[in-house]
Formats: sequence, structure tokens, C-alpha cells
Amino acid sequence: MAEEVHLGLPGPWAADYREKADHYTTKIGGVPDWPTGDMGIKPEMLQCSLCGTKLCLVAQVYAPVVKLNIEERIIYVLVCPTPECGPRPQSWKVLRVQKCRNVEQTEGDGDELGQGTGPSSTSVPEEQIDKNKSHDINDDDFDLDALAEALEQAATLASNSKKKNKSKCANAPIERPVLKEKPADLSIPVLPCFYIYYDKEQYRVKGAVGSSSNEFPLDKEMTDTGNYEEEKWDGEKYEYDKAIGADRTFLKFKKRLDAYPEQCFRYSYGGKPLLAATKVQDAGTCRFCGSPRQYELQLMSPLLYFLHEAGKGSSNYGPSNWTWLTLIVYTCSKSCCPSSCGGRPCGCCWDVAEEEITIQEDEAV
Amino acid sequence: MAERGGERGGERGSDRGGFGRGFGRGGRGDRGGRRGGRRGQRQEEEKWVPVTKLGRLVQEKKFATIEEIYLHSLPVKEHQIVEALVPGLKDEVMKITPVQKQTRAGQRTRFKAFVVVGDGNGHVGLGVKCAKEVATAIRGAIILAKLSIVPVRRGYWGNKIGQPHTVPCKVTGKCGSVTVRMVPAPRGSGIVAARVPKKVLQFAGIEDVFTSSRGSTKTLGNFVKATFDCLMKTYGFLTPEFWRETKFSKTPYQEFTDLLAKPTKGLMLEAPIETVEA
Repeated sequence: MAEEVHLGLPGPWAADYREKADHYTTKIGGVPDWPTGDMGIKPEMLQCSLCGTKLCLVAQVYAPVVKLNIEERIIYVLVCPTPECGPRPQSWKVLRVQKCRNVEQTEGDGDELGQGTGPSSTSVPEEQIDKNKSHDINDDDFDLDALAEALEQAATLASNSKKKNKSKCANAPIERPVLKEKPADLSIPVLPCFYIYYDKEQYRVKGAVGSSSNEFPLDKEMTDTGNYEEEKWDGEKYEYDKAIGADRTFLKFKKRLDAYPEQCFRYSYGGKPLLAATKVQDAGTCRFCGSPRQYELQLMSPLLYFLHEAGKGSSNYGPSNWTWLTLIVYTCSKSCCPSSCGGRPCGCCWDVAEEEITIQEDEAV
Repeated sequence: MAERGGERGGERGSDRGGFGRGFGRGGRGDRGGRRGGRRGQRQEEEKWVPVTKLGRLVQEKKFATIEEIYLHSLPVKEHQIVEALVPGLKDEVMKITPVQKQTRAGQRTRFKAFVVVGDGNGHVGLGVKCAKEVATAIRGAIILAKLSIVPVRRGYWGNKIGQPHTVPCKVTGKCGSVTVRMVPAPRGSGIVAARVPKKVLQFAGIEDVFTSSRGSTKTLGNFVKATFDCLMKTYGFLTPEFWRETKFSKTPYQEFTDLLAKPTKGLMLEAPIETVEA
């Protein structure tokens, strides 16, 4: 029954919060990396619906869908940076950017990647070279070992240079540069940026320990109370978890969070979200094709914690006001292309679709 | 970096799923060192990443005692909050009993653990957890007990000399058919109660009390919960000390919001105007 859930775990911080990566990068904060320079996105899509401020990027997730054979697909989660708008659900926006299915192979891909690697920052030059090199290799004849080696080299280089920023948890007083929220010359405010690496969630419902080791403490407990003959502890039945402040749904949510306490987001295309409260809003249907929306990914509280830690000491900082427990993103189940040249999927232009996001708040606040 | 690996994995086009194949490759290369470090870290104390707003405030040491949380009736949803705010917390497993459920394939046995935690100085919690294994049940029950920590009010039997040692008034608690009544006792009486509720009262920090119980106390689960319910009610009893009107203070969420604390020179008001012009 369990769908595979992939967790986005925090990786290294970006050296510069405004540094550009390419649209295959999964990261939190920073500047959105659009696949092409001119996306043709309507300006209203990038503005807060409440106050009109330009939205800033919270998460950019590269999310290809293999079943539908869509390789070029990115999800951007944007939010209004003003502290007043942050807590309200209308100030959040999710955009799904994808290139429609194309029948022709690598021609289009190569061009896109060439464009994509152009504006990348110089701090990660090795990866760019690796990528271009691997494109020369034939698709069928993939040299996996060389690929892994190259990746490892690049990653160790990147993580060594950012080692002091790597484990945000270990450094208690994190010396962060003052947040460049107020635009120096660019008009988009920017949240602290760090990159994400993936892990599959290994959630074992059954315990790992064998049963033999468990009977031993049980016997000890039974013999301890065996002396008291009048104490029978009769009539006990199964009882659901109960706590004064938290209900059962939240306790389950917290249990899975405790297994991977640093998870920034959970990804499971078409799977079931991990709810923090039982009340769930209906996702509705896609406004372009009418097919029902399905769950794809959810942002988790540790992400908020990391952003909060990074922005400490700066005033007018949006994430300080956020109190959500989880943000659930629903996308079109067919991953449709809203605009296509002449009604056919053309594979040359990028489509932008707005998707649904629901907030599960911490009700105590 | 892992994300580059993902992109390459995407191009390979196997059938597992967008991330599984892509990041398996890149991730293995990238995360070797980090993974090892993480595993080592896991065995020792893992740093707490707070989930709720209250947890974040507690971690920033904005609260000195847990009483400030009780004052505003804020729900405590993370057990690490209690661990951070109540030092000297001890826990004890009172009983592990098997509970059975009849299924088509025979009986399914699970274990139910009762755990009481307390610091012996006015804070006590009771946790009950059922799980398929004993160790899981105990661990879960300890967490639930910490989440259910309540303050216990103590008072005097007669002269107000020294520290409070008994319950302030006669209180009674009920669970199922069991009712437990606690009556103030003079100093030196000790806890006059059955063995099982006596443990809960010891953890609460009550030194002298007379108890009387009624109902089917053989169901010790209910007996223990009735005692705990009784302790919860000690602060619910209105006595003349509480007659004065409460002066409401700011809740910690309002108090510690940076938005209100720092003067912002009207920055937020200006921002929308700027963007419209742009």
C-alpha cells in the first residue's frame, strides 16, 4: 500500500542567496530559476493577490513525471514576503512549469540545457562542465561509474567549500550575513537559500527488533507485579493515543517527523499527504483541463525552522510570522499543458500553470 | 550536487519514478560522508528541530518555566518542550499488560504500557500506549506522559509553616467507575493510598494525603487515571486566593512576534505603493 515517499533533506547553504542555479536544481529560497529567460509569465501570477508585492521563492522542486513521460517539469512555491500577508493562504502561489511531451528526442533537450547552463553562477562550475560532457556521451551508452565519480567530486568540492554552513544544526550561533531582503538593485526580495538532497523515507511500521528480545523485559515486569496478588489490571482494552494538547492525527504526524527530523518537504506523486490536522480542504479540479487534482508534495515545518534561523536578527522578515505546520501542494493529475501550439503538444514552449496549495495551521496560535 | 544527478537520472528514463532512480545515483556519490555523520549523530542526541511555534519559542529560551505555558493554556504538542522546561523529570513504568484482539487468524496480542513521569515537585504526567512490542509501547508511553504533564497544587492542612505538603482541599477524580477522593492530611501522615496511586502521588510531590476510593478499583488502569484526574483538578478548584480579577497579559505569541516588537518605520505600508509604481 505504501507509496514511496521521497524526503527533501537540507543540504549546503548557498554562498550567495541570489546565486542562480539551473532549473534542474531543487532548492529552498533564493531566486527562482526559470528555464528560459523570457517565460512569458503574466505579471499578476508573480504578485501577491492581497497586497500586490512581488512574490519571492520558497521552494523550487524539479519534479519529472516518468509515467507521463514528462522530463522537464518544475514546481515553484512562491509567497508574499511582507509579514502581514505571510500567514494568509491567499498570499501563497504554486506554479507548475513544464515543457509538453515531445516525440522528438534530444534535440530540444540539448538546446534547453544549453540555455539553462548559461546563467549559472560561477561558484559551481564543475557541475556545468560535467553536464555538458555527459551530453556528448550517447544516451544509450551511459557511463554510470564515471558519472557517479564526477558527481562525487563536484559534491565534495561544493560541500567542502560550504562545510561550515553544511550542518545548520550543529552550529549553535549561526553567523549569517544580514539578509539581503531589501532589494539592492533587484526588486525581488529573497529568502535564505539552501540546496536539497533526496532520501527515500524508510518508515518501518513493524519494529526492527526481533520479538525474542522483547519477551525478556515483559517477563521481568510480570514477575515484579506477581507478588501483588490482589492487583489484576483487569479489563484493559486497546486504547488510542491521547494527549492533553495533541490529537491522534498530530501525534502520528509528529512521529513521522521525528524519524527524519530535518525533512524539509515530502514528495510523493499521487500519494497520500501526511496530515497534521484532520480537516482537509478539497483540492478541486484543474482549471485548464478539468481533471481532478492530486497530492504531489508538501512542505514541512523544519523548512520554516531553517528559514527562521537564517533570518534571525533581521526585521520585517516574512518567515518569522509563519506558523503553518505543513503546506500541501495539489497538482493536476494529468499534468496538462494549458497552452499548446495549435492544440498539439509541441515540445518547444514552456507552459506555466497555477496549482493549488492548502495550509495546515498550528491552531494554538 | 544531488540535484544535478537527478537531472541526469531523468534523462536516462528508467521506470521507477522521478526521484528514486535519479537521486539514488547522484545521492550515493554525494552523501557518503554526510550520511555517515548523520547516522553517528542519530545514535547520540539528535538535535531537536521544533515543529510548532511554541517549540521554536522554547528552543530560543523565551520561557523560563513551564508555568508560563500553563498560564496561557497553550497546548503542548511536542514532548521536547517539556524536557527542556522541566528539569529533573523522572519516569517509571507502572505496568505492561497484554491486550488481545480476536481476529480470524487467532488472537493478536499487543502490549499496553502505563508510564508516569514527574519531578516530585508539582508536575506529573501519565501516559498510556499500546503497541505491538514492549519497547515501542514504553517509549511511546513516556512521550505521551510528557505531553500530558500538569501542574499540581499543594497546600496546607493547618498552620502555614514551611512548604506546602498536602492537597489544598478535598478533591475527587473519576475515570470509568472508579472515583478517587483526596483529603488533606497533617504533616507526617504520609501518602495513605493503595500501592499504585501512591506512586503517582509520589511523583507529583505530595507528601501527605488521605485517599478514599470507590468503584471497581480492580481495573487499575482506571484507578490510575482517576488519581491523575484528581490531581488535575487541584488547580481547577476556586479558592479565595483566586478571587481577584485576572489581569490578562499578552500571550507569548503576541509578545515574541518580531512584527510587533520592532519598530518598522511604516515599511510595510510603503511597499505596496512602490510595487504598483514599478
